[in-house]
Amino acid sequence: MSKEYLGEFEELVLTMVGILGDEAYGNSIVNEIKERLGRESNLSAVHVTLYRLEDKGLVKSQMGGSTNLRGGRRKRIFTITNAGLAMLRAMKESRMDLWKLIPQLKIVGSI
Amino acid sequence: MGKSNDPTKTALRFLEMFCPRKLYEGIEGDLLEQFYSEEKIIGSRMAGVRLWLAVFRFFRPGIILRNTFSLQLISIDMFRNYLTIAFRNVRKNKVFTAINVFGLGIGLAACFLIVQFVMFELSYDKFHDNYERVYRITNDRFQHGKLIQHGTIMYPTIGPAMAKDFPEVEAYSRLMPSGDLNVKADDRIFRGETCHFADEHFFYVFSFPFLAGDRTNALKERHSMVLSETTAKKYFQITDGNYKNAIGKVVYWGLDTQPYKITGVFEDIPENSHIQFDALVSYATLISPDEHDADDSWTWSDMRHYLLLKPGVNYKTLESKFEDFSQRHFQGDKVSGSVEKFFLQPLKDAHLYSDYEYDIAKTANGKAVWALLIVAGFIMVIAWINYINLTTSRALERAKEVGLRKVMGAFRSQLVKQFIFESVLISLFAFIVALLITYLAQSSFNQIIDGNLTWWMVFTNISTSSTLLIISILIVGVLLSGFYPAVVLSSYRPITVLKGKFQRSSSGTWLRKGLVIFQFMASVTLITGTIIVSRQLEFMNKADLGININNTLIVESPENTQWDSTFIERVESYKSELMEIPGVISATTSNNIPGARLGRAFNVRLGEQSESSNVTMSFLGVDYNWFKTYGVPLVEGRTFSTTDHNHDFEKLTNIVMNVSGIQLLGIKDPKDAIGRTVSFWGKTWTLIGVVADYHQQSLKRPKEAMVFFPAYSSYYPTSIKIQQSEIQNSITSIEATFKKFFPGNSFQYTFLEERFNNQYRDDNRFSTIVSIFTVLAIIISCLGLIGLSSYTALQRTKEIGVRKVLGASVVSIVSLLSIDFLKLILIAALLALPLAYYASVNWLETYAYRIGLGVIMFLAPVIAILFIAAITMSVQVIKTAMTNPGETLKHE
Repeated sequence: MSKEYLGEFEELVLTMVGILGDEAYGNSIVNEIKERLGRESNLSAVHVTLYRLEDKGLVKSQMGGSTNLRGGRRKRIFTITNAGLAMLRAMKESRMDLWKLIPQLKIVGSI
Repeated sequence: MGKSNDPTKTALRFLEMFCPRKLYEGIEGDLLEQFYSEEKIIGSRMAGVRLWLAVFRFFRPGIILRNTFSLQLISIDMFRNYLTIAFRNVRKNKVFTAINVFGLGIGLAACFLIVQFVMFELSYDKFHDNYERVYRITNDRFQHGKLIQHGTIMYPTIGPAMAKDFPEVEAYSRLMPSGDLNVKADDRIFRGETCHFADEHFFYVFSFPFLAGDRTNALKERHSMVLSETTAKKYFQITDGNYKNAIGKVVYWGLDTQPYKITGVFEDIPENSHIQFDALVSYATLISPDEHDADDSWTWSDMRHYLLLKPGVNYKTLESKFEDFSQRHFQGDKVSGSVEKFFLQPLKDAHLYSDYEYDIAKTANGKAVWALLIVAGFIMVIAWINYINLTTSRALERAKEVGLRKVMGAFRSQLVKQFIFESVLISLFAFIVALLITYLAQSSFNQIIDGNLTWWMVFTNISTSSTLLIISILIVGVLLSGFYPAVVLSSYRPITVLKGKFQRSSSGTWLRKGLVIFQFMASVTLITGTIIVSRQLEFMNKADLGININNTLIVESPENTQWDSTFIERVESYKSELMEIPGVISATTSNNIPGARLGRAFNVRLGEQSESSNVTMSFLGVDYNWFKTYGVPLVEGRTFSTTDHNHDFEKLTNIVMNVSGIQLLGIKDPKDAIGRTVSFWGKTWTLIGVVADYHQQSLKRPKEAMVFFPAYSSYYPTSIKIQQSEIQNSITSIEATFKKFFPGNSFQYTFLEERFNNQYRDDNRFSTIVSIFTVLAIIISCLGLIGLSSYTALQRTKEIGVRKVLGASVVSIVSLLSIDFLKLILIAALLALPLAYYASVNWLETYAYRIGLGVIMFLAPVIAILFIAAITMSVQVIKTAMTNPGETLKHE
C-alpha cells in the first residue's frame, strides 16, 4: 500500500482534512493553515497533495454543494478514511516516542 | 458577454487545456472563490493577475500527468450519433454538400494529375546506382570575349584528359551520337533506330540493366553493337524472350561491308532517362591506327562526356580546377581557335535544367514543372478556402443543435471533434470523387501532356519521403480546413441560440471576404496568364519566319546509295522528274532542314584578315534550287547556279551568306560584300550573294548568321514543295520516283511544318495545362461565390423585406446586394495585376522573340471576371430580391 511515513506537507494536509471534517476542500485547507500556523501555502500544492493522499487511500473525496461564490462550481470535499486515521495515529505515536527521549523536551504525563 | 467583463475567462480557458477532466470543476471553483474574495480586497485587476499566477502554478507535473492520455479522438458511443447527424445534414442540404464535395473533388483531382506529372519529371535518371556521382561535362566557347557556344558538345580528348589529370574522377565515359541506324539484319533492312557510339565505360557509369551479354566488355572491341530489347526483337524475330540467341549475330550498317557483332542486349531505356537510344556501337570503332582523331583530336567537336566522381567529392571544387585545365591543354585560344571553359552539370539537373546547344538529352522546362506544382497548390488552397467559406456560412442552421448539445453537457472540444469529423467525412467523399475524376480524365490528360502516366508508374518511381510528404499535406489540409468551421460552430453560447434571437454571426466576415478576394485574385492571375501564354504561342505560330515552310514534304536521305561521280547527275534527274509530277511545285536538297540545329563553322574570317578576327557561323549545304524553293529573298548579288556545284569538295569556290553573316564579318552594306574573299575550313571562298535573315529555329532563338555553300550528298534529305490540293496524290508518285532513282533505300517522309512546330511542343503543352487549370480555378471560385452570396442574401432577408415595404424596386435591391461583392472582386483584380505582370515578364524572357505586354491583356481578365461573377451571383441575388416581404417579416 503506502509507505510507512508521509512527507511533512502531506502530513499537515492530512491533519487539516481530519480537523475540517465536512468542510475540507482546497481553499478551506489553505485558509486553515494560514490561520492556525501562520503559514502561506499554495493552492496548487494543496490540491496536488490531496490527490496524492487520495491515491494512497488516506482520504476519499466526493463532489459537494455549489454556491454562487464559486460561479456555480461544486466543491470537491475530502474526508479522512480509517486508514488515514490509523496513519496519523501511528505517526503521532512514533513522534512522541522520539521526543520523549530528548531531555530538554520534558513532556508531562510521559514516563 | 465579452471578455472585458470577465477577467477570469481567458485564464480559465488556459487551465481547461491542461487540467484533467475530473479535477477541473473543483480546481476551477477554488480558484474562482479565491478570485472573488481577493477582488474585494485588492480590486479586479490585481485579483486577475493573481489568478493567472495561480493558474500557472497549477501547470505542474502533479496535475498534468494526471490527465488520461487516451488518444480517443471520438468516443465510440457518440460515433453513431455523429454519423447520423452528419448524414441528416447532408440530406437537408443536398445542394450545398454537393457543391462542397464537388469543389473539393475537382481541386483534389487536379492536384493528383499535376502531382503525377511533376513526380514523373522529377524522377528522371534516379534509377542509376551512381546517380549522385554522375556529371555531364559542359563546354562554353568564347571568341573575342563573346560567348559563341554554350553546349554539351566538345572534343574527344576532354573526358580521358580529365580522368588523367584529376584523381577525383573515378571513371569517364564518352559518346558520339550517330543519328538513325540503317542496318541490314538477316537480310532485312531496318531504319530509324537511334544509335550512339559509346565506350566500354558507359555501362559502368550508368546502370542500364543487361538481359544478355557481359556489360563490362560488350563495347570494348571495335565493331561491337548492343541492342535494346525491342530492337533485338525486331531485328532477329526473337519471341521467346531468350536474348542470348542474339549474341554473336551480325548486322551490316549502310554501305559498310564490315560486319558489326551483337555483344549484348539491354532492357529498353525507361521513359524517365535523359538519354534515349535503341542501340549503342562501341566507340573503339571510330578509332584505328590510321585514323585516331576520335581519340586524340583537340579540334574535332562532336563528342559528349560523362564523369563519375569518387564518393565524397565536391564537384564545385573540382570545377574550379578546370580553368587551369583549359589553360594547360588549350593555351587560351591557340589550340582550337576559341577560349574553352568547362563545367560539370550534375545528372539530376540534366533533364529539367539544361539549356545547352547540341544537347542529346531529353529536356523539359524545369521552371514550368515547378510552376505547375504551384498552380496545383493554388487550386488546392482555393478549394479548401471554398469549403471553409461554405461551411461557415451554413453555420447558422446548426446553431440550435450546438446550443442544445452544450446544454446537455458537451464540452467545447467534443463539439470541435464532431465538426472536424464531419469535415473528414466530406473530405473522404471528395477524395473518392477525385479518384473517379482522375481515373476518367487520365487518358485525356496523357494526351495533352504527350506522355504516358499512370498511378502505377508514379508509385514505382516515387521516393518514400515524397509520398509521406504528400500524404501529410493532405491530412493537414483536411484537418485545418475543418478546424476553422468547427471552432466557429462550437463557439455559440447556448442561451443566445436557444432563445431564438440568434441571427447573425458577425465574427469572421473579414476572413470570409479575405478568402473570396484570394480566390478571385488567383483566378484573375490565371486568366491573365492564359491570355498571355496563348498570345505568345499564336505569335510564334503565325510569325513570319522569313522562309516558307508550308506544304513542304521532307524525304529522308538515300544513304544506301553510293556517293560517286554519278551521284550529282542522278540527283538532278531525280529532281527534274519530281517536278514533272503535277502537284510538285519545286524540289531541293540540303544538308539540313529548317527547324533543326545547324552545324557550326568556327574560324570564319575575311580573306585579308588575320586569324585573330575569327568568327563563328552556322553553315548549310544547299543546291541551286534551295533559295527559290524556300522563298528566301535575295538582297544582293546572286544565288547558286548549276555551275557552282562540283563533285569534288576541293573544287567548290562560291558561297552565299545572310545579312547577319556579313555583318558579323564587319561588312555593313551588302553591296560591299559581293566579290569578297572569305576563308574557313582551310579554304578560300568567294562571296557571290547576300540573302535575307530568316528563322532557322523557333522564335525562342534569335536569327543566326549563316553561310551557304553549294553541295550534294547522299546524306542530304530532299525538300519538296507541293500544291495544297495535290498532297495525297503527289506522295505516291514521289515515292515511286524515289524508289526508281535510289533503289535499296527505304522511303520515309514527314511534313516540315509538323517537325518545325515540334519545337513548340513543350510550350503548347504548358499553355494547354494553364488554360485547363484556369477554367478549374474559375469554376471553384464561382462555386464559392454562389455559396457566399446565398448566405449573405439569407442574412439580409429582413433588411430586404423592410426595404421593399418602403418602396425599393427589385433593381435597386439587386444592385445593393451585388455592389458589395463586385467591390471585393475589383479589389482582388487590382491585387492580382502586379502579380500577373511579374509572372508574365518572367516567363516571356525565355523567348528571344516575344509579344509586347499591352494594357488590354490585363484589362480583359478583370472585365471577364467581373462579368462571370455577376452572372454567378445574379441567380441568387435576384431570387432574394423578389421574395415577398410578407413572408420574411412575418416572424419577429
